[in-house]
Amino acid sequence: MSNPLLTISGLRAGYGAAPVLFGLDLKINEGEIVALVGSNGAGKTTLLRAISRMIAAEGSINFAGKELMPLTPEQVFATGLVQVPEGRQLFARMTVEENLRMGALLRRDPEGVVRSFARMYELFPILAERRRQMAGSLSGGEQQMCALARGLMAEPKLLMVDEMSLGLAPVVVDQLLVVLSDIRKAGVTILLVEQDVFAAFSVADRGYVIETGHIVREGTVAELERDSDLRKAYLGVA
Amino acid sequence: MLFAQILVNGVMLGGLYGLMALGMALVWGVLNIVNLAHGAFVMLGGYCVYFLFTGLHLDPFAALPIAMVVMFVVGYLLQRYLLNLIIRSSHLNTLLITFGLDVVLTYLAQLAFSADFRAINPTYAGSNVTLLGVTIPLVRFGAFLTALVLAAALWVMLERTRLGHSIRATSQNLIAARLYGVDPAQLYAVTFGLGAALAGAAGGLYGMVSQVTPYIGATLTAKSFVITIMGGLDNPFGIILGGLFIGIAEALAAIYIGPTFTDAISFGLLVLILVARPARSLRGA
Ligand SMILES: Nc1ncnc2c1ncn2[C@@H]1O[C@H](COP(=O)(O)OP(=O)(O)O)[C@@H](O)[C@H]1O
Ligand SMILES: [Mg+2]
Repeated sequence: MSNPLLTISGLRAGYGAAPVLFGLDLKINEGEIVALVGSNGAGKTTLLRAISRMIAAEGSINFAGKELMPLTPEQVFATGLVQVPEGRQLFARMTVEENLRMGALLRRDPEGVVRSFARMYELFPILAERRRQMAGSLSGGEQQMCALARGLMAEPKLLMVDEMSLGLAPVVVDQLLVVLSDIRKAGVTILLVEQDVFAAFSVADRGYVIETGHIVREGTVAELERDSDLRKAYLGVA
Repeated sequence: MLFAQILVNGVMLGGLYGLMALGMALVWGVLNIVNLAHGAFVMLGGYCVYFLFTGLHLDPFAALPIAMVVMFVVGYLLQRYLLNLIIRSSHLNTLLITFGLDVVLTYLAQLAFSADFRAINPTYAGSNVTLLGVTIPLVRFGAFLTALVLAAALWVMLERTRLGHSIRATSQNLIAARLYGVDPAQLYAVTFGLGAALAGAAGGLYGMVSQVTPYIGATLTAKSFVITIMGGLDNPFGIILGGLFIGIAEALAAIYIGPTFTDAISFGLLVLILVARPARSLRGA
């Protein structure tokens, strides 16, 4: 369980002249679910954008033995590092099925794609019902399912999920967390980015806490849950 | 003249207009570029088919696919090596560049092909078909059918193929498309090439039903613009309907107002649209 899949060191990034990330180090091992938590504006989404090479950055991002820095977002995607972005970012005027097909854009194994479709509709039966509907017409929870399924259609090695729980009812969040545990069992490593610390820690093995562009704590979920500062700041308990 | 006959003339021409506008709408919707050189591409496609017909004695309908391939390559290269450099800049920049391109292409066409009127007249140019008592020149009927077939082919491509899905996805959400493996520089070049190919096909058909000169581009760009605004960027059927509308309006104007007024129809609509649209968006704000 301790083969590093993603190793980030000294990562700096920002928007134009404004720095947001100040030299981050982070490691994700194969088969783990790692939670990245921190309050609004701490730099979580910026980190994912830097990893997916959508914004300029300095430092090193090594994924499965490959340096990602010189790559473009579409090349990062092709390495098996797939992002489910904040706000779902579905193709709103395409059907659910077409959105899922976009996830499989670079795959050249038609039979495997058919199997993946079947698997997605098994994980998310509601998507099967809605598969001819425009993604923009789905409810928030269904949209998040569609976004997750689109990401999984790519057969990722590492799935980075940004603010999955945002705006969703707690029962829906629980349902999605169960799905994440299932797909981890199927061999997908997961980086779960959340403001909802309870939700993230309920499925994660390890966690990182980010504050204004710095990693301020890291450890197993059990260790982080015992940390009294964190309990006050994020879990709202003394 | 029989009213039905006028209507049919308009519909035949309108199909061609719709095909022409589809190319502009595709590029506009996906790349967010209003290509002011679109009419010049139509013009080049017209010359392409003209010279394949007169030089190689190809049937003009058989020459259409060749003209489309040529125009695809022209469009692809222009996007890849010129327009991709400025695609992230303001609308004003892309308008200026494509306007400059229009001027250059028109000038080059005048140098290379002279200002003479060129008509593509195959042996069957004088033949007619009669449908329900209405006489239709065979060439116009063929042009209309070709336009419909190409429009349908475009629709099937957008709905059913990997490339079509990538094109639609990119037009709807560029960031997500990149996150899911679309290379925008390549996709934009292919899309611009497809737009130019559709323009090229429309140009060949235009040379059969009318005449090609180096100067037809500006008017055709304006017509494509009007039709695209009427039809909407996301809806190939809307574009074809817009083309039919302009075609019919021009045919009616030619009979009831005078043949010199046909262009005034689309320019009048252009002015109306430009006046009406900002007003609407201001009210929306
Ligand atoms: N596109 C952007 N342009 C400029 N600044 C941005 C942009 N996106 C985020 N920021 C800034 O970067 C900081 C981190 O934001 P973000 O990474 O979105 O935080 P989080 O995802 O943890 O809520 C914030 O101060 C935010 O205002
Ligand atoms: Mg965020």
